[in-house]
Amino acid sequence: MKDLLNYGLMFAGFGLTLLVIASLWIPKVLGWKEKLKDLSPLMKELWWTYSFYVWASNCFFAILALGFRDWFLSGRPSAAAMAGFICFWWSVRIYLQFFGFDFDEVDDTRANRIAKLMLTLLFLYLMIFFAIILWWNLGGAP
Amino acid sequence: MNAEVIIWLLRLAGLMCTGLIVANFVAAPRLGYARNLAGSENLVRQIFYVHCAYIVFLIASLAALCLGWPELLLADGMGRVVSGFFAVFWGSRVVVQLTYYDKIERRKESFWDVFFLLVFLTMAVIFAAAALTDQ
Repeated sequence: MKDLLNYGLMFAGFGLTLLVIASLWIPKVLGWKEKLKDLSPLMKELWWTYSFYVWASNCFFAILALGFRDWFLSGRPSAAAMAGFICFWWSVRIYLQFFGFDFDEVDDTRANRIAKLMLTLLFLYLMIFFAIILWWNLGGAP
Repeated sequence: MNAEVIIWLLRLAGLMCTGLIVANFVAAPRLGYARNLAGSENLVRQIFYVHCAYIVFLIASLAALCLGWPELLLADGMGRVVSGFFAVFWGSRVVVQLTYYDKIERRKESFWDVFFLLVFLTMAVIFAAAALTDQ
């Protein structure tokens, strides 16, 4: 089981790395620059600052999943806390994906539909997998 | 610096994070988030508020960690890694404020500008100390 979770963490780390890299194209694909042009300078600055810090948090999760797998599977309370935090982070994102965001304004192209499907699957995987890691660290280990 | 001092400093950082959460809720009406976003597309508005909420959630979790379990940030190698991340997080926030935010806007609110710079800088130093202190 531990080996399987180890591979799962590696997969999560690679998935997060891909997400972090792909996120660099999101502003261009969704035309953020054009859509933000009517905002005040301060709002634009806040927009990019918040976006950057959310992106940086995803980078950090990728580093943790790839570089600290032993710790994630150590059964320590701190590992449980981090797994719970990441699980909640992606649970909220999944909720927003299905019930929050209004995707009507995104062009209905084949590429966008595939990207949306891939992202939804990744978010689902991250939510479920980190819930399993939480369970493992709370004593679910056989 | 010994661990006991760092733990007290981390509790102070927790209080600062709590203050920042309150400040976020005060900033929304003061800076006119809703008014400024009124003419934007739905998705633009939603992304802004979602990012805002994620940042508040991240800071709230950090506040809970610092106030309730500061020793976890010193407990093992991972505690140091998390502390290091937040040292960079708050340190970069100082850089963003000094180099990216509009100077004219900052001058309009010079007291709060300096106040928040000091808060971010203090937290960067505290988390850097937590990451670098030998246990």
